[in-house]
This record gives sequence, structure tokens and C-alpha cells, in this order.
Amino acid sequence: MPSTKTVLVVDDSRVSRLMARQFILARRCFWHVEEAASGEEAIARVASCVPDLILLDVNMPGMGGLAAAGQLRTLCPGAHISLVTANVQMATRRRAAEMGLGFLAKPMTEARIGALLDALG
Amino acid sequence: MSICVTRTGEAAAVPVLSALQHDALAEIFNIGVGQAASALSDIVGDEVTMSVPSIRLLDRAGAGALLANNQARVCGVRQQYDGGFRAEAIVMFDEDKSLDIVRLMVGDAVPFEELTEMEQEAMGEIGNIVLNSCVGTLADLFEQELRGSLPVVQIASGAAILGASTIGIGDGADGDANPIVLMLQIDLALAAHCIHGYIAFLLDMGALGDLRALVDIYLARLA
Repeated sequence: MPSTKTVLVVDDSRVSRLMARQFILARRCFWHVEEAASGEEAIARVASCVPDLILLDVNMPGMGGLAAAGQLRTLCPGAHISLVTANVQMATRRRAAEMGLGFLAKPMTEARIGALLDALG
Repeated sequence: MSICVTRTGEAAAVPVLSALQHDALAEIFNIGVGQAASALSDIVGDEVTMSVPSIRLLDRAGAGALLANNQARVCGVRQQYDGGFRAEAIVMFDEDKSLDIVRLMVGDAVPFEELTEMEQEAMGEIGNIVLNSCVGTLADLFEQELRGSLPVVQIASGAAILGASTIGIGDGADGDANPIVLMLQIDLALAAHCIHGYIAFLLDMGALGDLRALVDIYLARLA
């Protein structure tokens, strides 16, 4: 039986969440995908689920991804957290590196998501 | 390419950018839009071609007149940026093709009804990705950080969308309601799907000064 992991996809765009779910399940059909539409919702969600991987958009209404990442890091110390963002500026990449976060540039593609999943094992 | 000012039908040369600054700005913009085209190509899984960029100074309301077929309805996505300079970036696609673009992005997994329901939201996300690919490249070339607003989707004629920009409003000493703006424009095409798009950047005269200073720093680094 393949191992099951939980991924929390945090993005205010429904279509982005839908695509992430689609790409993850195409590569890891036994994995469980949870969704949140904001930083606040993600923080509330981890009270009831323990994600192994958190995919986090940066530019969202309310709490942005970078602010949420700090809190999620404390709440989910075992989770790998990766930004998935259209904000591809060096400044954002540098901030992600400083915070120990992964970085995935949008647009999301199955290949990019697959590479991230493969790196996690 | 040349710079001209078009305002209420009158054209006059304004020495806002030197030939070298103009050339550098066109090239920087070209690189930025190249990244946007690459992102769009990843979204739709097809080649995206780009026109030569044009840079013009004109009044805000007149910006829409530059678009070919400017009364046709388009789906526009706009974002405002500030940081090294303040600008509004707008990407527009023919309205009747937006569902095709969304379909190309999400594939066949989503039922048509659901796809139609999420069309505008999906176009917002596509616009967000395309504009930020371009702006991110500009920011990195200028070694600046540009902070963007959330995307806003608007369905209207291209002329109306460009005319609705608030860039420059109130910046004039006389409370100019139709100020001069710098418009950087480039056309995108997905030939295989007969889809056309436009990317435009609007800057007011104050921001143009900031941008010109950044171009000078960029050129100094090359020297």
C-alpha cells in the first residue's frame, strides 16, 4: 500500500486550487488534498488536519502567504512549506529562502508539481 | 519606434526620454513581456508570439484608441504596482476567447458548466500570472521590488478599459481629469487558437521620472 500524505493547498483562486488538486492526485492518487482560500483559513484548517506539505500562494486578500507561512511553520513544524506564486521577483524568492520555504513559480504545471512531490519522496 | 504625445488631436514632440533611454526601456519591456509570453505559453500549452513593443505618451482616454479593433469587447485584468515606480498593468484578451483560454489552462477535467461559472475568476488568475511574470522581470532588471494589488477583472471594450485607468488622475496641478500617461504596449498572439491579447503599462508623469532614473541606473551598470 503506497504511503498517504496530506497536502494543504492555500490559494484564493479556486481554479488554482482545482489545478493543484488535479496535478497532485494525478501523481499521488492515494494522497489527501485539503484546501484553504486564505492565510487565516489555512491557520484554522491545521487545527483539524496535519499536512505534510503546504502549498501557499503569496498575494491573497487578508493575510498573505508570507505572513501565514510564519504561523504555519510554528503550527506544523513537520510540514514542508512551499510558496506557489505568480510573484516571481528575486525579492520574493530571497524572502522564501530566508524563511526556509520552497518556491514554485506559477503557472502551476503537472511537471512542476510532480518535481516538487518527487523531491519530497 | 518613436515617442509622440497625442492629446486632443494635437501631436507634439516632448523630449521625455533620450533615444538611448527609449531603446533601453523598450528592450527591458520586451524582456519582461517575453517572460509573460512564456508563462502564457505554459498555461495554454502552445506557442505565443509577440509584437515589437511600442512606447507612447498620450492622454489617458486616448490610450484605448491605439488598440486595433478597440471597440470590441475584451476581458481585461488590471493590477496596480508601486515600489520603484508606480504603474498600472493591464492584459486584455478577446472576450469571446476567454473561455477557450480557461479551457486550455484547466484541461478537460472540469465540466463545462463549472468552467463557465469560474471563467472570470480563472481569467483573473491567468492575468495575475501573466502580468506578474512581466513585472517580476522588470523589477529584477531594475533591482527593485514592486508590490502588486490583487487582480481586477473587467469586461468592456478595450478603449473603455484603458480609459477607466485611474493612473495620473489628480496628479496634474490643475486636477487634470485626462492626464498624459506613458503607454507601453505589446500584442500577444496564440496563432493556433486565433487568440489575441494586449499588455499595456500606464504610468503618470511622476512615475515616468522614477522610471527614467531607474533606466539610467540600468544603463550605468552596463557601461
